[in-house]
Amino acid sequence: MATATNPSSGSAHRGVQPLRAGQGHSFLLRKLHSLSGVIPIGAFLLEHFLSNTEALKGPAAYAAQVKFLNSLPWVPVLEWGFIFLPILYHACYGLYIWSSGKSNITYYPWAGNWMYMAQRWTGLIAFGYIAQHVYHLRFSGVRLADHPGASFAKVHHELANPWMLALYLVAIIATSWHFSYGLWLFAAKWGITTGDKARRRFGYVCTALAVALITLGIASALAFLNPKYKYGWTESPSAQTTQSQLQMPDVAASK
Amino acid sequence: MAERTIKVEIKRQHDPDGNAVVEKFEIPYRPNMNVISVLMEIAARPVTVDGKETTPVTYESNCLEEICGSCSMLINGRARMACSALVDNLEQPLRLEPLSKFPVVRDLQVDRSVLFENLKRVQAWVPIDGSYDLGAGPRITPQVQEENYPLSNCISCCCCMEVCPQFNVATGFVGAATIAQVKLFNDHPTGKVLKEERLHAMMGDGGIQDCAYAQNCVVACPKELPLAQAISDVGRQVMLQAVKDIFTT
Repeated sequence: MATATNPSSGSAHRGVQPLRAGQGHSFLLRKLHSLSGVIPIGAFLLEHFLSNTEALKGPAAYAAQVKFLNSLPWVPVLEWGFIFLPILYHACYGLYIWSSGKSNITYYPWAGNWMYMAQRWTGLIAFGYIAQHVYHLRFSGVRLADHPGASFAKVHHELANPWMLALYLVAIIATSWHFSYGLWLFAAKWGITTGDKARRRFGYVCTALAVALITLGIASALAFLNPKYKYGWTESPSAQTTQSQLQMPDVAASK
Repeated sequence: MAERTIKVEIKRQHDPDGNAVVEKFEIPYRPNMNVISVLMEIAARPVTVDGKETTPVTYESNCLEEICGSCSMLINGRARMACSALVDNLEQPLRLEPLSKFPVVRDLQVDRSVLFENLKRVQAWVPIDGSYDLGAGPRITPQVQEENYPLSNCISCCCCMEVCPQFNVATGFVGAATIAQVKLFNDHPTGKVLKEERLHAMMGDGGIQDCAYAQNCVVACPKELPLAQAISDVGRQVMLQAVKDIFTT
């Protein structure tokens, strides 16, 4: 061995480089990534899922909820500053994180490793779905901010396609999973749940949250297909309708 | 009748830049062999299964009791210590490869100096150098000893880094072993004088933020270090330091 060269002298930069102590901004970017997933994106997700359960009460209640949300002050600022831009950042930085990591589930098929992989795939599904969801329901067709009465019909129209319904169900599961496990990761990484027991207990909480979100999400999605409202909400009792003074534009014509 | 044998396939590489080839061996079976004794057997008669003469396989090992940390390699695809890998418990043919995330020196020997470099960058030591006798250090309570002793069991085998999906050339992640040592020395009554510097080092690129809690390290660690616990504890220390920095720097 005396004649062999010292491996660390000749090949200083081979392999994984050592820690760049005190250098770079990845700490900040990474923390922003994980924070943005909880606030505002996670908070918005909860609001969105809860608002959508109004569909279970019928088109009028759903329209009223849409109208209420659009009556909030500074809606464009809320939309861009607290929803679109954070999601865009979270998604882009998330894809970057995914691209730099390397899953090795084949040789190490362990629970945490599965979750690691699932977090990446569910994130991708959620992002792809959100992109089409926002485009279809927010940026094309009838503008619901101006015509909240058309909300139920617009979503109904979207979900009437069985492929689209299947996509929604998959996306609801993926998004709920991604958020719930993301919340668990947030608590672990930010030093909130530092104990093994604390992490396990919070794991149960997050699992329950995921199940609740999936249940609420699927129930809401299916509510739009309730045969009772097959011919539009105008045929249902109109007491709430007149109260909230909603209009029903022709969805098909404005598409 | 054919004797019972052990079939071994070894990924070999002559030098750091060489091409890797797989050589197959078949050696007589003995009960209770470990992977190191298989390699010794091959070294005694380095002939492949095709009858071709070859060189003994290069590998690192020392203590043979899972305490020196030098014989880590991929055994049937998984990172583990060759000394504590018992042939009777392994599927055959045995597949031996060098750790995949460290530069190969030769055959199964890899250059793991990145861990040593990382430990230096976080100052994983108790600073006692001085121009005069500093006297006895402060007492460490049994409670703190009990919490920290498991962390001192790290044998620098690098299994935690090899199995980590986040440890690779793209991230340059520091890995669980170094983070555990940050906790060990931050909790030491004399070592904690460098705590702030260690935490700032941990915030650099490749620092603790790159951990994604796949927790493969916890399962793979041959010394069963409480690595998830250490990472989340240091995570808290780093977060508190970051918040403190916002207001005090």
